[in-house]
Amino acid sequence: MIGLVGRRLLMTLPTLFGVLLVAFLLLNVAPGDPVAAMVGERADAATIARLRADLHLDDPLPAQFGRYVWSVMHGDLGRSYITQRPIAQDLAARFPKTVQLALAAMVLAALCGITLGVLSAIRPGGAVDRIAMLVSYLGVSFPVYWVGLLLILLFAVALRWLPPSGSGGFAYLVLPALTLGMRSIAFLARMTRAAMLDVLSSDFVRTARAKGLSEAAVILRHAFRNALIPVITVLGLDTGSYLTGSILTETIFGWPGLGRYVLSAIEKRDLPAIQGSILFMSLVFLLVNLVTDVVYAKADPRIAYD
Amino acid sequence: MFHLRPGIKFHDGTPLTAAAVRASMLRVLSPATRGGRPWPLYPIAGAEAYAAGHAGDVSGITVLGDSALGFTLTEPLAIFPKFLAMPVASVVPAAPPADLAERPVGTGPWRLVAWQHDDYLLFARNPDYWGGAPAGDTVLVRIVPEPLTRAAEFEAGRLSVIEVPFGETARWRRERPGQLLEKPALRVVYVALNNRRGPLRDPRVRQAINHAVNVPEILATVYGGRGVLAHGAIPPGLAGSDTTRRGYGYDPAAARALITAAGYAGGIDVRLWRTGTNVELSRVAQAIQAQLAGVGVRVELVERDASSQREAARKGEADMVILDWWADYPDADNFLYPLFYSGSFGPGGNYAFYADPGTDSLILRARRTTDDAARTALYRRIDERVYRAAPWLYLWFPTDLWARRPELTGWDLPVIFNGQRWTRAQVKRP
Repeated sequence: MIGLVGRRLLMTLPTLFGVLLVAFLLLNVAPGDPVAAMVGERADAATIARLRADLHLDDPLPAQFGRYVWSVMHGDLGRSYITQRPIAQDLAARFPKTVQLALAAMVLAALCGITLGVLSAIRPGGAVDRIAMLVSYLGVSFPVYWVGLLLILLFAVALRWLPPSGSGGFAYLVLPALTLGMRSIAFLARMTRAAMLDVLSSDFVRTARAKGLSEAAVILRHAFRNALIPVITVLGLDTGSYLTGSILTETIFGWPGLGRYVLSAIEKRDLPAIQGSILFMSLVFLLVNLVTDVVYAKADPRIAYD
Repeated sequence: MFHLRPGIKFHDGTPLTAAAVRASMLRVLSPATRGGRPWPLYPIAGAEAYAAGHAGDVSGITVLGDSALGFTLTEPLAIFPKFLAMPVASVVPAAPPADLAERPVGTGPWRLVAWQHDDYLLFARNPDYWGGAPAGDTVLVRIVPEPLTRAAEFEAGRLSVIEVPFGETARWRRERPGQLLEKPALRVVYVALNNRRGPLRDPRVRQAINHAVNVPEILATVYGGRGVLAHGAIPPGLAGSDTTRRGYGYDPAAARALITAAGYAGGIDVRLWRTGTNVELSRVAQAIQAQLAGVGVRVELVERDASSQREAARKGEADMVILDWWADYPDADNFLYPLFYSGSFGPGGNYAFYADPGTDSLILRARRTTDDAARTALYRRIDERVYRAAPWLYLWFPTDLWARRPELTGWDLPVIFNGQRWTRAQVKRP
């Protein structure tokens, strides 16, 4: 297992290099001048030329890319063109906020989604199943943006139970976590239900029942464990995408996380900020995938990576 | 020559001196600062050379003891004092802390206490403020990117003041008229017509476009009525504006006649650039497209992000761009020199690439004129002259529409974005 983790960690390096290269090329192909955002609506040509030279924007692309990779290898993500703050410091300030929201959303999704899925599978076609599947159907279909605003209108404006936006204590976390986790709840519920139904019709479940185990023991200890693999896949993928920031949810709820940081960096063509964020997000995503793979092996001893 | 008010201290306790003023300006101009917006200081003799790294000092700033300082300008410039009221000329201590950008120090009524990026800024009153200590204890500025969330924060009573979101204009006008404040803003919304591209080179085509669009209707329906019609580029709040000027008026027949006279009886094809970042102007662009189709001007909408749109406009690659110009300083010059002077082509603000030697010389003359009445008369004349040449499709001057909670007193809309001091604002808790 340790060998596996080590090998996989080594393999992230070429992947990250590829990500950097593609990001760099795309940013340089896309229209929009970073200096234009620095100088504002009214500028003189001399200032623009000076800033471009200062930031080495007129150098050939390979030289620019080489300089960037070199500094990244030395642990320096550079400074934002707009604020002159170090990118690493900016990311470090925002990542904990994103982690907080992502974990809250994932815990919520795992609790609600898996419970709904298991309950539905116990009696397919029953009342619980129908309600749960309706909920998950709606959850997958409703746009995040719309749900977020509706939640704000209901819980913050009409009922005044929760704050509409901002960050702070637990109360601030509820609505964004629900908004962000909603799609996962729905997806997990469906996934768990399908996997459970699959497993429940297999021979070993019949054997377990035949030897007189209680229904609860059959479902939780035998069937559920075997239905875990697809559930872990969904959880892993969603965790990865949540940990890299969610632009919509963070924007609606004024949550100061990675998603908004990237969005505003893109709007201002703040190249070092965009590249640094992409690199960081890719790293997070790769690590989450690695953890998911390790968890696979733990959940199902038949899976071995050799 | 400026005399400093005596006894003023920075938030860190050091006294404000003429030397600090000079150091602040040098800091902004210095190439090492990488400041992108030093142009308001360029009229000072030697400033541009210093910024370019050709000089070790700015010859035009003279420190006269602790409390006086003189500026030598490259040429007479009546509006220079207004330049000095812009953020770029803010005075900071002579030896500012290294993280000044993170922990700004000034002499204003509020000092920064905490800054959570993308979340909020917290200010506390400066009891030593020369204009009298503010009435309130703290000001919390929250950053809420989504307009509808901002509205919800306001309705939940957690924000004291917000700009009314476009989507709420009609409802709030109906439901909370007592909480709304409206004031003409120093802004103009227009479509820059590239005066150097294709059929738009012909003034008759540009005038036809001004006749062909029913601006009052678009303003009322698409823009929530939040503005007054622009028959010129100088907003009504500024000296030099002429609210009695006769506009082109909505007249499709006249538009068609002008286009035919210009030799385009078969119609013309143009591309209108808009950006999704500005939802309202994006909708306005669509309405313009529909109305221009009626007179044979076939408009293709090009939607890009703000940065790409600006780049295309600056390079002169866009036929038409819908834009919103905000004043940096409250003077008509801010609407004429950047927008219509030929030296301001592209990045300088003249996205229409309008060039007219007569207009150029009048604009420069007005800048050098120190007599206010004469200057105002010149602005009026320039605005009229440009309007007749129709370098733009003139739309409207937006009005600021803000809402404030009944608990808040002593707050009014500022004339310009940086003119709000919040010194009298106070929230009365029941």
